[in-house]
Amino acid sequence: MAGRIKQMIEEILAERSKGNEMLARVIRTKLILKGISPEKYTDQSDDDPKIIRKLKKMTKEVSHGNKRPFMNIRTASSEKNTAEDAVDELMGIFGSNNMKMMIFFASAKFDPEEISARMQAAFPGVTVFGCSTAGEIVSGRLLKGSVVAMAFDEESLLDVKVEVVRNLKRKVDVGDAFCSFERHFGEAADEMKPSQYLGIILIDGMCGLEEKVMDAIGDKTNVIFLGGSAADDLRFRKTFVFANGRSYADAAVLTLLKPAAPFDLVKTQSVRAMGAELVVTKANEDKREIIEFNNKPASIAYAEVLGVSVHELAACFPSHPLGLVIDGEPYIRSPTQISGDSVFFHCSSVEGMPLSLLELTNLIEDTRNVLERSRAKLGGISGVIVFNCAHRALELEFNKQSREYGELFAEIPTIGFNSYGEQFIGHMNQTATMIVFR
Amino acid sequence: MAGKIKQMIDAILARRADDNELLQRVIKTKLILKGINPAKYDEQSFDDPAIIARLEKMAQELCR
Repeated sequence: MAGRIKQMIEEILAERSKGNEMLARVIRTKLILKGISPEKYTDQSDDDPKIIRKLKKMTKEVSHGNKRPFMNIRTASSEKNTAEDAVDELMGIFGSNNMKMMIFFASAKFDPEEISARMQAAFPGVTVFGCSTAGEIVSGRLLKGSVVAMAFDEESLLDVKVEVVRNLKRKVDVGDAFCSFERHFGEAADEMKPSQYLGIILIDGMCGLEEKVMDAIGDKTNVIFLGGSAADDLRFRKTFVFANGRSYADAAVLTLLKPAAPFDLVKTQSVRAMGAELVVTKANEDKREIIEFNNKPASIAYAEVLGVSVHELAACFPSHPLGLVIDGEPYIRSPTQISGDSVFFHCSSVEGMPLSLLELTNLIEDTRNVLERSRAKLGGISGVIVFNCAHRALELEFNKQSREYGELFAEIPTIGFNSYGEQFIGHMNQTATMIVFR
Repeated sequence: MAGKIKQMIDAILARRADDNELLQRVIKTKLILKGINPAKYDEQSFDDPAIIARLEKMAQELCR
């Protein structure tokens, strides 16, 4: 294994210097005085256990120096068969004391209206919202057919407001939702600080409008909205979002919250660029269809860069998606099917957009690394919400790594679900977006 | 004429991100997702009317 030392040094520098170059120089000098010269370590440097131990001790000291609070986050899950029994079990675990917000993810086996109504009725006065899934995640385990929930108490959340944006297919308009946020928080949306506010988006995973909703949100505010597209156990028929004791299709639930403790927003995908690039030269954005790459029929150009025939192309889709790479970060577009010469995707691309050909990397290792990085940055983790692409879940199943993936979250209060798309600034696929609370 | 596109991008960045480097990255990402890559344009870039029209619309949306 290699590169861990460089990563830990960077985390200490980020945490202590907060981007201040002078402070960064001071911290580097301190590290050298402690016997660790940052310049010596690269992504290829051996993971020397002795150095890692020293750095862990330093990270701990950094964390202890922070007086910032931790969130009080509790999670629970139920694998009961009926909505009534599942909600009763969750009630028994959570009790009813001092709760402000609850987010839950429920298998598509439950009637959407019933599960939402029962969850809200079980926790009156609490802001309750969620969505349907294609598999659930709870600390240490990946589940199917369950309900998972995370509760935040009054001290952990300074404030929260939920809005439902309905009838997306008629018109994507988040204006009313943002007017409501502005009234509630007493601050203009474009003045809200991303370090103080956090947005969660849960959206109908079959609406095909995630890009437009994210674009509209991005125009309104600098606050980062992160989340996932609701799912339906891979049936691809109807998905639901939940709020106010109701269930909604063709809708998005937007939640704006002000956590009492710092948080980190994570986007992780296990791919790397292979070097080849396809530029979208003709597309139908609304249909998520790419008609031409590099002025050639899309399927032919895609097959050419992969060195396969068009007949073999679809079989390569899972292992070789495309991605818009921004500052080294891929925003993945997963292909779904070939129709005529066109290739259809789970996410649209605009004409002129360069898409890199990608190949898969180690999902377990990549996820472990981002969690470690987040832990070091925050000085500890009190909870994680994961929006994990259903495609990643299938990949884990195929590689018999589901248990290992669940175990990455074993020590952390975690809930999440397998989604039909992920959101972080924009919409993307084959990604896990995460909210990590200190 | 040249350089108008860069000027418009800079104005959007200044209005929405000030000097905050993290916010600048976020706004740049939003622009790229909308199909306009700020890194492609400098003072010598041709004033493409199609791009300018798109940026005018974006400026309206992003800087109300």
